[in-house]
Amino acid sequence: MELKGEMSMLNVLHLQSTDLKEISQQIEAKRDEVPAFFLNSPVVVDCSSITDDLKKLDLKGLKACLTDLMFVPVGVRGIEPEQQAMVTKSGWPVLRAGPKKSTSKPSGKESSKPDESAKTDGDSEIQAQVSEEKATISRIIEKPVRSGQQVFVDEGDAVLLTHTSAGSEVMASGSVHVYGALRGRVLAGVHGDTNARIFCRSLDAELIAIAGRYQLLDEGDTDLRGKPAVIRLDGEKLIIEALE
Amino acid sequence: MSKVIVVTSGKGGVGKTTSSAAIATGLASKGLKTAVIDFDVGLRNLDLIMGVERRVVYDFVNVINGEATLKQAMIKDKRVDNLFILPASQTRDKDALTEDGVESVINELKADGFDYIVCDSPAGIEKGAFMALYFADEAIVVTNPEVSSVRDSDRILGILQSRSKVAEEGGSVKEHLLVTRYSPERVEGGDMLSVEDIVEILSIPLLGVIPESGSVLQASNSGSPVILDEASTAGMAYSDAIDRFLGEDVPHRFMNVEKKGFFKKLFG
Repeated sequence: MELKGEMSMLNVLHLQSTDLKEISQQIEAKRDEVPAFFLNSPVVVDCSSITDDLKKLDLKGLKACLTDLMFVPVGVRGIEPEQQAMVTKSGWPVLRAGPKKSTSKPSGKESSKPDESAKTDGDSEIQAQVSEEKATISRIIEKPVRSGQQVFVDEGDAVLLTHTSAGSEVMASGSVHVYGALRGRVLAGVHGDTNARIFCRSLDAELIAIAGRYQLLDEGDTDLRGKPAVIRLDGEKLIIEALE
Repeated sequence: MSKVIVVTSGKGGVGKTTSSAAIATGLASKGLKTAVIDFDVGLRNLDLIMGVERRVVYDFVNVINGEATLKQAMIKDKRVDNLFILPASQTRDKDALTEDGVESVINELKADGFDYIVCDSPAGIEKGAFMALYFADEAIVVTNPEVSSVRDSDRILGILQSRSKVAEEGGSVKEHLLVTRYSPERVEGGDMLSVEDIVEILSIPLLGVIPESGSVLQASNSGSPVILDEASTAGMAYSDAIDRFLGEDVPHRFMNVEKKGFFKKLFG
């Protein structure tokens, strides 16, 4: 068997109100637009717009309501850490927040009053900015990564000023940049970012991986061995190209 | 200011003890007060290489446990002034080495005015090796010209720069590369890694290259550090390495295949 973190498409329900009756009516209306599409589809509830009023929301009732409407409730996200116990107690799994883009759609799926939604829009924009800033934080490693050592950058890029040795491992949620020889294992986009890339001044890696797609680098796999290279993901295939 | 030097490698049998003995002897012959400590508890060898096996009364573990004083356990070398040997225990295991115990011994040696404290590390990356490197200011990494030895040295370098006391305090241990058992003929034949390859892989400064030489085995068997054999190539290479360690600019020797002269060709 295999257990790993991967990205999947999920419907996310962005709540803007805590009134269960109102929510249920709006979901039902939405579902009836394309009933076949939503039938038994998993749904994640995003509470980031109503965190202050989360207490007022009947979470158990929401779960029952979603099940009745033939959705599969997966979990709740966008809550404050101190609210986690309350949410778990009501029978909902809590999901880690993903990178937020824009929280509310103008379609008015669950929006209540226009002035309120405008306000939350503004809030979510700030949030989006913050999370984007976070994502670009890179960690700079000045010393060589030696055999047996592991570097893990949970958020952002790994920038290595020297080399990595055979038997070492470098992992980053973003891209990996090596300004020297790359000799160990290297895994970019470990949280599923398929746009992550691997850059190095001299390619001699044992294993390369981007977003879970990996490849062992044996003799003769590439004629770029020992040369500057960039590795990117094209569909399911890792592409190794010369870095000019 | 006394300095703690660890002689380490990760892999066994590459010449750590031979090098420790030669380096300690070389430093002492320069008039520097030097102690060499055997950290290989349970498999002690340094006393044999130094030719003091019949003079061991108390050992390193006795001192750590307070069963003997450091002065009682230290053996003064008879050939070279300023050289003292602290042997390991043969009857105990590595767990007898405690961080506090090792630290107190090293601090006592420092207070005693020793210029250099050479720690002869056991092979592996377990407790003994860890204790030997933990208090080091500088490290001499002994490597043979073959891939497994180079990889193990790489591993030890990583541990040095992340888990030693100096590293924990945010500094870095000064690294030196000592390539031993080097045979230029076999490098040329492609059987061995070249010094250039090793330096490229490990990327640390090269302290010296000790050529493969029969005199090393001879010296070990007779209990006299090879550096004292001034006629042997290995002895000369160790002397050069000591000069370099002390800051002199000495060119590397014995790295290329010697061209046999006409008469040597004729008469072997």
